[in-house]
Amino acid sequence: MTSIALKSFLGLRQSSPETTHFSYRPKPSTHRRKFTVVAGISSPKLDGRNLRVAVIGGGPAGGAAAETLAKGGVETFLIERKMDNCKPCGGAIPLCMVGEFDLPLDIIDRRVTKMKMISPSNVAVDIGRTLKPHEYIGMVRREVLDDYLRNRAKDNGANIINGLFLKMDIPKEKNSPYVLHYSSYDGKTGGVGEKCTLEVDAVIGADGANSRVAKSIDAGDYEYAIAFQERIKIPDDKMAYYEDLAEMYVGDDVSPDFYGWVFPKCDHVAVGTGTVTHKGDIKKFQLATRKRAEDKILGGKIIRVEAHPIPEHPRPRRLSGRVALVGDAAGYVTKCSGEGIYFAAKSGRMCAEEIVKGSANGKRMVEEGDLRKYLEKWDKTYWPTYKVLDILQKVFYRSNPAREAFVEMCADEYVQKMTFDSYLYKTVVPGNPLEDIKLAINTIGSLVRANALRREMDKLNV
Amino acid sequence: MSTTISMASFSPLTPISTTHSSHSRPHPHNNLFTLTLTPKNLSFFTLSPLRVSAGTSDSPETAVEPPPQNISVGTNGSASAVTAAEEVKVSNGFLDPRWVAGTWDLMQFRKNGTTDWDAVIDAEARRRKWLETNPESSNNDSPVVFDTSIVPWWAWIKRFHLPEAELLNGRAAMIGFFMTYLVDSLTGVGLVDQMNNFFCKTLLFVAVGGVLLIRKNEDVDTFKKLLEETTFYDKQWQATWQDENSSNSNK
Repeated sequence: MTSIALKSFLGLRQSSPETTHFSYRPKPSTHRRKFTVVAGISSPKLDGRNLRVAVIGGGPAGGAAAETLAKGGVETFLIERKMDNCKPCGGAIPLCMVGEFDLPLDIIDRRVTKMKMISPSNVAVDIGRTLKPHEYIGMVRREVLDDYLRNRAKDNGANIINGLFLKMDIPKEKNSPYVLHYSSYDGKTGGVGEKCTLEVDAVIGADGANSRVAKSIDAGDYEYAIAFQERIKIPDDKMAYYEDLAEMYVGDDVSPDFYGWVFPKCDHVAVGTGTVTHKGDIKKFQLATRKRAEDKILGGKIIRVEAHPIPEHPRPRRLSGRVALVGDAAGYVTKCSGEGIYFAAKSGRMCAEEIVKGSANGKRMVEEGDLRKYLEKWDKTYWPTYKVLDILQKVFYRSNPAREAFVEMCADEYVQKMTFDSYLYKTVVPGNPLEDIKLAINTIGSLVRANALRREMDKLNV
Repeated sequence: MSTTISMASFSPLTPISTTHSSHSRPHPHNNLFTLTLTPKNLSFFTLSPLRVSAGTSDSPETAVEPPPQNISVGTNGSASAVTAAEEVKVSNGFLDPRWVAGTWDLMQFRKNGTTDWDAVIDAEARRRKWLETNPESSNNDSPVVFDTSIVPWWAWIKRFHLPEAELLNGRAAMIGFFMTYLVDSLTGVGLVDQMNNFFCKTLLFVAVGGVLLIRKNEDVDTFKKLLEETTFYDKQWQATWQDENSSNSNK
């Protein structure tokens, strides 16, 4: 059964030309899988205690992982320094997350049902007209969501440690524990933490973009985009407009490879932009974003300025021994939309599920092969989503004419329906082939027209 | 935008914080505001404007709209001192007598009883060019409704394809002729027989497709770059699995 799953997985990835370096890949990996299954059965039973797993980082990924682990009978330690950290984050979650993670409705501040896409020549397109009455994009505050998920993990029996993870010692021998070093701040109000150590059998690194866990397993780096965001409190009459509406601005002035946004938050709006290629110019892009939204946010006061890196692709190594990375630490943020909360929580849960399964509910030791299953499953489930968004970004964010065409395309109801369905439910529903062909022709038409205009513009000297 | 990073860990990203000192300065303060953003925490909001105004005194552009007396600085250096915001927009915005209510007034483009689409294309190109250098605030009261698809398809073909069509036609005919000649001389299959041959038909399609796709020498490089670009992301994802192999072969 597992080998079948693996086969289709490899088939999926072969769509890209293989380099000679890993052309020998299929054979060793099947060997690996066999080895894993045998070892999994014969892995030693733990006596006198349950499996101990440490989750580093208390964001959505860490919270979801800790909850699943604790539920599965694993002795769980969650280490997080800032329990009430108000993180710089867009805070959009898809509808399916509410159901899958059983989130209470009151943690959702706003329900966005309308999106406005605004092209470089200021053509504004409303998307979201196809949404059904119960469908929406939830906007949450991260401090609320994170706290809720952590508390739920705690209720299920996870030990929450207020501490700063420093480093870990990787064991030389098989099955001996990892030793984590952290400074504990439990029961203290300030000052320096108390140096503590903790022995665990496996580690889940959910500590974000600057992950220390990733550093200690030498996971390598990823390209990152820098996102810049200002929280602006705007007058009530202007805020009414953003009641259930989010805006996306595209254009070379706003960002050469991403988009600028205005997202409604609990009682203010977040205005921001991001880029990978021109990080030094981010302030300029931010000014341009503000300029493009000027009429709608006039009179606003900036209450907070924040910036953060967004991973562009997974780290070269997401797993080593009994240490696995999830969420932003692993680099699971989509291109094009820059979405990550759902994928973080989902990857945390998936990783924890594999640990619970591999350890027979905490009764046996786990090993690398058990954790590998999580990676396999993850890539198999979400690789197409990531790839599609990557293609979209490459095709439509590459130049102003492409962006004009993108906005024109988004005016189409069929496109809106498909986009929202895949965003809200994270499943790619096959569309109507006739509509697909129509869409393809229209899109190519838009692209050709916009590029033709572009050529004219280049001739002009205004 | 759901990335997690604490304010403390932002500090390594110096390119931003050093170049814009007015922004990096408030950051240490953020640690004070670890209160949640719920409305009941009024202290957050009463405190924060103070902090921002401190920043704005150094760099006026940090405020969306500074107090009315220095509004001229706030609107991104548009020097016109302003009494009414309306006036700024009019003087700043794109102006053309034919641009009416967010679209090109087609009645003004009539020539000899028909719409002069070439002029519409010119005008729109000029508007977009203008907007690129002078980005304009989008406004809900005066939306842009012009859509390039109202220009009929033949107007685009006439303008952009026909000048090139002659060249492409000639090129395709030449290549086709020489290929036929070559095939004939090599295999002895005549022109009529070639038309009934699957291989030769494929060659014909390759020739036509090639002529259409590769119009200039640079096009070859563009395609190469595109291919690289499309596989780049795959490689980034596959890195994990390469690692698995190397660790296996080491064992």
